[in-house]
Amino acid sequence: MKRGAFHRSLTLFWWVVMAFLYLPLAVIVFYSFNSANSSAYFAGFSLRWYDKLIHNDQLLDALGNTLVLGITSSLLALVIGTLIGYGMYRHRARKLGWLIVLIYLPIVMPDIVFGISEMAFFISIDRQFGILGPSLLTMIIAHVTFQIPFVALIVYSRFVGLDPTLFEAAKDLYASPFQRARFFLLPTLKPSLIAAFFLSFTLSVDDFVISFFNAGPENATLPIYIWGAIRRGVSPEINAIATLMIGAVLIAAILSLLFNRQKQH
Amino acid sequence: MSKPESPYPLAAHSGSLSPDTRHLLWSVAPGVIWIVVFLVLPSLYLIGVAFMTNGPYGQPQMPLTLDAFSQLAGFGFLGWSPGNLYTLLRSLWQTLLATGLVILVAYPLAYRISISREKWRALMLLAVVVPSWTNQVIRAFGWMNLLSPGTPLAELAQFFGLIGPNMGLYPSNFAVTLGLIYNFLPFMVLPLYAAFEKLDYALVEAARDLYASPLRAFWLAVFPQTLPGLLAGTVLVSIPAFGMYVVPELLGGGRAMMLGNLVASQFAGGSNWPLGAAGALIMLLATFGGLFAMRRIGKRLSGGEEVVI
Repeated sequence: MKRGAFHRSLTLFWWVVMAFLYLPLAVIVFYSFNSANSSAYFAGFSLRWYDKLIHNDQLLDALGNTLVLGITSSLLALVIGTLIGYGMYRHRARKLGWLIVLIYLPIVMPDIVFGISEMAFFISIDRQFGILGPSLLTMIIAHVTFQIPFVALIVYSRFVGLDPTLFEAAKDLYASPFQRARFFLLPTLKPSLIAAFFLSFTLSVDDFVISFFNAGPENATLPIYIWGAIRRGVSPEINAIATLMIGAVLIAAILSLLFNRQKQH
Repeated sequence: MSKPESPYPLAAHSGSLSPDTRHLLWSVAPGVIWIVVFLVLPSLYLIGVAFMTNGPYGQPQMPLTLDAFSQLAGFGFLGWSPGNLYTLLRSLWQTLLATGLVILVAYPLAYRISISREKWRALMLLAVVVPSWTNQVIRAFGWMNLLSPGTPLAELAQFFGLIGPNMGLYPSNFAVTLGLIYNFLPFMVLPLYAAFEKLDYALVEAARDLYASPLRAFWLAVFPQTLPGLLAGTVLVSIPAFGMYVVPELLGGGRAMMLGNLVASQFAGGSNWPLGAAGALIMLLATFGGLFAMRRIGKRLSGGEEVVI
């Protein structure tokens, strides 16, 4: 009897926390369809803010910047990170403590310190040599820096899950290093590489702080644009673009759920 | 044989190294060089700036001093003022408060997930995590919408006399705490859930059979078993919370500023790089100090074994 009451109150608590987690997002989605310019009362359903989005050039530029930054940095990080992951695995018998520390550094560093130290560094170099001023290039460099560890760890953990004799087998069969890479390493790594690319891309799109401090005035990404719009005074357009971004996350969540279900069966 | 200077000291001698070592260096060199040049060097530069003098245009200059640190402690041109010190203490307090509250919310939540039917668990965990996949600026904006004047929550607070008429619940310290909890809850639920999933209920039943009260049973049988998860969660929540920038900036305003905002403002508007760098150095020390402490505690708990967090 008593146990039942405890269980019920836990369930109730679960739903309260769910409301806490989803209410802020739901409010954004709800008011994005508001025909009035307000986040306090709902005047009627309308798509006018979405219509405004399509004609907002600054916003489309920001979308373009986000995609260019995300794709370029992820591809670079994929190459560099995969090499580290492979090196870590092949030489795991050695003492690689220094390498592990170095790889965890970008992950544990508070992003404000990360972003500001790079900004200060790049600005000083720019003053001395006239290169690396705040631009898309410095943003790409910064993003690759925090993406490398995640790629390396994903690739490394994939290798650890493999039968070590496979490497010997490939060697025994006189496969050249190139053939080993082409016919053994890359095919076995393919799912991990795809996962690493998408994780890197997600991290890049999700990042605000590091981009913010390394961006030039023309390199606003979507989060930077939204930040600026909030600072200038809220426009319901922000609700609309935020709703689209929340929608993208929900789609990703559903895909990941379906993907996991499929793996279990 | 003269080689071009390499940022990676061992690489300069690779001529005399075994093929195995050379292989290691070739594969890890690009990444190592990248992280060293674009993260380690900038951090060292920033640490250096913290000990430099603030120039007339906000540029760091020689000579080396500890001025930035005394400014951080409140000693400025106009005598002592507690502003910066308050910001430091506020960051610490907000971090402790938010971490404590996150633990209180995450415990029952993680337990509730762990006793659900197996097919629901993945979905429940996903439901906890999904909001944190949206951009943190958007999440803070959602709370701005919910807490601004005229919303049901703000009117409820007015009804109870917590805030004056026509006021919102943000900007305020309360809003910052709320935003921190919202941001970091999943980071506590996931490791706690992992601990609850492995929980040995025989111990709990033994405690109950021996007439331990539910609270005592929790304290003696459940808490020690979930401690590793709690520690991992505490690291994952408190370290990024201490360095939080977006939440206090959007939900806090001037009177709820945290260290991250102080640092950022010195590099943008205030233009006192050494002061900002000194704040950043404190944050770095707190990060590594926290990680080190947790590692030590984790080691002791697991009887000297390495714990990878």
